[in-house]
Amino acid sequence: MFYLRYLGAELIRRFGKTLTISLGLAMASSVIIVIISVSQSLSTAQDKVLNPLQNVGTDIMVTRSVDNESMVSLDETSRNELMQDNRIGLNLANLGNPGETFSYDTFLPGSLMTFDQKEIDNLNKSLVAKAAAGLIMQVIHQEGTIPDVTTEVTTGGETFEVNQKIEPMTDEERAAQDSARKKVEEELKVKGIDPRSPEGMESMRKAMDEAMPERFKNQSFRFTAPERTYTQHVGPIETNISSNSLTVAGVDMSKTDIGLILPDHITSGTWFNGDNQIIANKSYADKQNYVLGGTINLGGKNWTLVGIVEPKLYTNTADLYLPLTDLQAIAERDGKINIMLIKSTNAQSVEDTSKKLEDAFIGAVVTNSKDTAQEVSGSLVNVANLTNKFIGVTSVIVISAAFIIVSLLTILSVNKRIREIGTLKAIGWGNAIIIRQIIAENLVLGVIGAVLGLGLAAGAIALLNHFDISLSATIASASQNQGFSFARRFFLGGNGTNTTVSTQVPLKIIYSNMVFLLGSLVAVIGSIFAGTLAAIKASKMKPQEALRNIE
Amino acid sequence: MKIIKAKNVKKYFFQGARVVKAIDGVNLEVERGDFLAVLGQSGSGKSTLLQLLGGLDRPSSGEVFIDDVNINKISEAKLTDLRRNKIGFVFQNFNLIPTLTAAQNVEAVIAKRSSQDRKKSLAALKQLGLEERVNHLPNLLSGGEQQRVAMARALINEPDIILADEPTGNLDSKTGEEIFSILDSLNKNNKKTVIVITHSDYIRKYTSHIVELKDGRIYGR
Repeated sequence: MFYLRYLGAELIRRFGKTLTISLGLAMASSVIIVIISVSQSLSTAQDKVLNPLQNVGTDIMVTRSVDNESMVSLDETSRNELMQDNRIGLNLANLGNPGETFSYDTFLPGSLMTFDQKEIDNLNKSLVAKAAAGLIMQVIHQEGTIPDVTTEVTTGGETFEVNQKIEPMTDEERAAQDSARKKVEEELKVKGIDPRSPEGMESMRKAMDEAMPERFKNQSFRFTAPERTYTQHVGPIETNISSNSLTVAGVDMSKTDIGLILPDHITSGTWFNGDNQIIANKSYADKQNYVLGGTINLGGKNWTLVGIVEPKLYTNTADLYLPLTDLQAIAERDGKINIMLIKSTNAQSVEDTSKKLEDAFIGAVVTNSKDTAQEVSGSLVNVANLTNKFIGVTSVIVISAAFIIVSLLTILSVNKRIREIGTLKAIGWGNAIIIRQIIAENLVLGVIGAVLGLGLAAGAIALLNHFDISLSATIASASQNQGFSFARRFFLGGNGTNTTVSTQVPLKIIYSNMVFLLGSLVAVIGSIFAGTLAAIKASKMKPQEALRNIE
Repeated sequence: MKIIKAKNVKKYFFQGARVVKAIDGVNLEVERGDFLAVLGQSGSGKSTLLQLLGGLDRPSSGEVFIDDVNINKISEAKLTDLRRNKIGFVFQNFNLIPTLTAAQNVEAVIAKRSSQDRKKSLAALKQLGLEERVNHLPNLLSGGEQQRVAMARALINEPDIILADEPTGNLDSKTGEEIFSILDSLNKNNKKTVIVITHSDYIRKYTSHIVELKDGRIYGR
């Protein structure tokens, strides 16, 4: 068929033009494919992070959480309950004798106030398809030696001065003493003892004492010391008690497809399969150098670490996970929970269901994916926001630029063929055939451009994927953030903990048939657009152009 | 019998405020089977006249009849049909489509109208001695060969009128004479009405029906 041969000849013999226009269209097509693919992949990655509830088989979360702002407006009963529930009682006297070591854990719900587990059974069945309970507690862990408190008081060394007036001896008394001395001297003389010898002096002193008036012999008197108070400052008690805090969560063991963590979040080790078992969050286990099979002491009991988990409910993560009943037991909160994870019966009306659940019990706080999305920040969100913001503008710019460039090239090419088109008109080609021919030529260019564009886009996506780009997402963790800040009010020794959870999301750009088709359409539509402009231009050319430059 | 008639034909162009009178009141009648030469210097209005006589353009005023059809009164599509069926054009610059072979250039006129298109175009080229050059692109043909391809293209549709605009203008004199003799033969043997616009005086060898154009008017016959 002549028209096809003419078309083929035009494309092959004007290869430079064919290549330029096709490549222009291919570039536009591939840029659009890459932009949309990246954007879609970012959205997919973002959805995973922005909708952590979905990761744990749920779409609504119900708590009785109290944030710092609403704490002020809390009713009296709730405030008292909150205070009571978060009281730290450390009575060293009950923990052993002085000098003995101790380890003590205090479990606090923080701002995630507890409520009865039976509330889960009271949920409106028409709204709730599935529900799991959870208990997330802050643990203030204290350990050290019970101090031996002693104090030493030294007394004595005081000097008392006593003044007493005693009547002097009378002449008779003095005479009696002289008489006694003389008598002894006589007796000693008889015995032949020298009165100045020690024996003589002893006999003399004895006789003198005996002859001494009574008032000199018994000088007893009463003395009352003045009243005094001794104060000794004991000073601070030296202790080696250290404190740290962590978050522990109780997992509803009756569900495996909905809950704070799920069996498929285990990255190494196993899910709970026996008694006294504990699972650790990977980041916490790394920090603490925990090894699988090791023992962790919590709440005065030893637990065997059976699994490492990467929790996907980013907004409510914990460092350690126990079966719910175990945590309730060691935390002395039997029958209490502070989080309910709910799968609504109608995924389309999560907002409605959320509203209805707010009346589930007093103080219920209902969170859905829309709320959790607002907690996420980081490069993933920035890039995604940027992409969402500019994808439209960028696409319009790329498409416009491509259309304009390709149109200009096509019109330029038609202008160069002015004599050819004039000649065709002169020899009897109607406008319709000329328009059809030019649009057909461009359509083929568009198809070539689309094919080249698909190749370029596939290559570009493969290249981007090759670089393993990953984006970070930072999520404010409700359990760690609110809970701990609240606990810190009561316990100043808190050593702080992360209030956010960071996760790396690999950017895996997806090959989507729809996107590739759309990108191809850009090339084809661009070529038809440019071809139509060129064809209109050609249709306005006069047959006498065939004779141009002749005169 | 008059195959072409021009009655007080004027063609004016406007260049800003200036009016260029390219054809300024031409009256001309061409008999069927005539061989008419239009002579004139550059800028005399020869090509404009050819455009009007060949239905490539319409006059500003006056009337042009081609085979009794007033070209002012028919649609663009009808005029295109008229050109295709009644007139074969030969241009000074040959006006071959550069991406098509000799045979395809000829075929372009009758495209899709018959399954015999290819055969007819090959026969037309053979008639003009180009059977060895049918698959050559124009840029591989000499000037004379290109003009013969253009003549084959003009003849393929078996028109009544051949309009040649300076057909020898880009050819050497020997090749030019060959072209004129072909036109002469078409006129004499095939009874085609031939109108040639030229400034070559040796056209007088082939026809005595000559009009001379100056400043858009006919001065001598």
